[in-house]
Amino acid sequence: MGNVNVNIDGRKIRVREGSTILEAATANGITIPTLCHIKGQVPSGVCRVCVVEVEGSRTMMGACHTPVAEGMVIHSKSPKVIAVRKVIVELLLTAHTGDCVNDSNAENCALHNLASDYEVGAPHFNVRNPRFYPAEESNPYVKRDMSKCILCRKCVKVCGEVVRKDVLSIGYRGFRSKVVSGFDEALTAEACRDCLKCIEHCPTGALSAPARV
Amino acid sequence: MVPSKKEALSENGRAGLLPALKDRAGREGCLNRESMSGLAGQYHLPLNEVYGVSTFYAFLPVLPTGKNIIRVCRCLPCHLKDAQAVIGSIKKELGIAPGETSGDGKFSFELVSCIGACDQAPAMMINDKLYGDLTPAGIAEILKSYA
Ligand code: SF4
Ligand code: FES
Repeated sequence: MGNVNVNIDGRKIRVREGSTILEAATANGITIPTLCHIKGQVPSGVCRVCVVEVEGSRTMMGACHTPVAEGMVIHSKSPKVIAVRKVIVELLLTAHTGDCVNDSNAENCALHNLASDYEVGAPHFNVRNPRFYPAEESNPYVKRDMSKCILCRKCVKVCGEVVRKDVLSIGYRGFRSKVVSGFDEALTAEACRDCLKCIEHCPTGALSAPARV
Repeated sequence: MVPSKKEALSENGRAGLLPALKDRAGREGCLNRESMSGLAGQYHLPLNEVYGVSTFYAFLPVLPTGKNIIRVCRCLPCHLKDAQAVIGSIKKELGIAPGETSGDGKFSFELVSCIGACDQAPAMMINDKLYGDLTPAGIAEILKSYA
């Protein structure tokens, strides 16, 4: 495969054909935020925070899953992109209903960090039934607090495609969607061992190492 | 690389899962842990995956249901034709809210996404039978035919 010429934020860039916009940007030191993307894995494109403007395109494009094309002119930080990204972060925050105030790990929450970078305040969308799930602490390796989960599906992906254990899937649909294990039950120590890969990839505090007692 | 369970089945097995779930649910009334584990084994899929597929589809009952399942459409066209009044009427007749099963086990009542009968809105299904152009007053009679 040959190379193609694109323009990102006014910079002329030559990249390998077939790269994604995200890869092209990252390789040239341009940062585009992501929440659901795992480098090297097939993109799922579900979180939408990586949206960018592509001139001539009717809609915004997800940088993590859109391949570059010859002559593409891309804006990753235009006022329009920033405005849209802010709303996306606000929407994600709306469904992220965990107890973050008491969470000693909150500074590691990529969503909160994005919200503060983009100056998104408290979300003002009204939610009829807030997503709430009791935290699951029965597994010795992974504590799951699904109220904080933003359904980025990274844990499902690493567990299935990287670790090849496949103990997590998405259950239900729409607003009720939830990452489930087994028959929607707490992760058992038989099913889930201590690879801790999902914790490493979870962008929020939904998955964490249980406090050692 | 060894394919993951999901990949190994992507060609044939996974495609067979949905018809198998539908068949099971039809014969046994609902899908429970036992039937899902059985199918998971048969299709070499993890139980969580079978559970995920089952809970995605409104027409695959996962919890125990009554003998007859009433599914009222809650999408926009039905809503605009006052499905709310029909829902109210069913509630009154059976004394149960959407998501519940009547005490005698005869009816389960659910709200579902579009059932493809927008031309006859407001519409509902009882088991496999479609009822369109519903009126709140007509509900009692329909339900009686299942008593
Ligand atoms: S638990 Fe974490 S990694 Fe898994 S889907 Fe939710 S936010 Fe993503
Ligand atoms: S990182 Fe691109 S959609 Fe989530």
